[in-house]
Amino acid sequence: MSSLALSWTALPLPRADAKTPQMADVSPPTDEELVAAARDGDEVAFSELVTRHKRRVLATAARFARDDHQMDDLAQEVFLRVFRNLGKFRAEAPFGHWLARITVSACYDFLRKERKVREQVSLDASVLELRDGRIEEAVAAGRARELVQWGLGRLTPEEQLILTLAELEERPMREIAELTGWSEANVKVRAFRARQNLKRILENSHER
Amino acid sequence: MNDNPDPELEALFAAARAEMPDTSRVEYALETRLTARLRAEQGESVFAWAWRLCPFFAALALAVAWWSHSTQGAEVYSRIAAEAAPSSEELLAYLTGDR
Repeated sequence: MSSLALSWTALPLPRADAKTPQMADVSPPTDEELVAAARDGDEVAFSELVTRHKRRVLATAARFARDDHQMDDLAQEVFLRVFRNLGKFRAEAPFGHWLARITVSACYDFLRKERKVREQVSLDASVLELRDGRIEEAVAAGRARELVQWGLGRLTPEEQLILTLAELEERPMREIAELTGWSEANVKVRAFRARQNLKRILENSHER
Repeated sequence: MNDNPDPELEALFAAARAEMPDTSRVEYALETRLTARLRAEQGESVFAWAWRLCPFFAALALAVAWWSHSTQGAEVYSRIAAEAAPSSEELLAYLTGDR
């Protein structure tokens, strides 16, 4: 740490008057400028937006998707929606907030679609081994995420969405309300019920 | 944030939070895949619009053909009548129904 600090301080600092005109012009464009350019058909600007925000979108998508393929699909769906709705972005709030709302909306639609698939194809057999373990054992074995995903998969899409945002992403209730468009009281009630249902599902699966 | 803290559930969530999924494989070249999909979608949309306009163009072509056929027939008839009229008063009377 100290050697790093020393080498950093040893670097010659640029003088204020040494700035060339080219350096002054190289400030990166803001998200809003990129949105405006992408709206005019600039593909490079849109790619830059994706590069800037893909990690955040994927971090959220990964909480809902079961594998890389689903994660990729979900992330692409988010950015496709962004592209289709560029004209609706008013820049009243930062681009990141607008993107987060689109991400949550896409994840919710994904959960609803998954629910329909789950109703047609039973996935119980694939996680039979997990069901036999206790919660503490799953945590100790480093399989907490698997167990949570298995349990969440048995909740309604609304409950899954709220618990994922509240417990796995640690977002405050007010923010979840803004992202989902539901009232804060509604979100709190749903979160409370979702926790109870998840607890019951995990306990029942263990008792069987 | 949590209205009903349950130590066991909290421990499970905390452990699940700590397991950060690896997104690096999906991050790689996401822009390229996305751009390709956007181009494909735009191409598809143009193609879809062309198909949707097919009945309109077919109806337009039929209407033009019918109009062209009907005006051509009338034109031929009127040309014959016009040519015959000055030369033969008898034919003109026959055509106009006087005789």
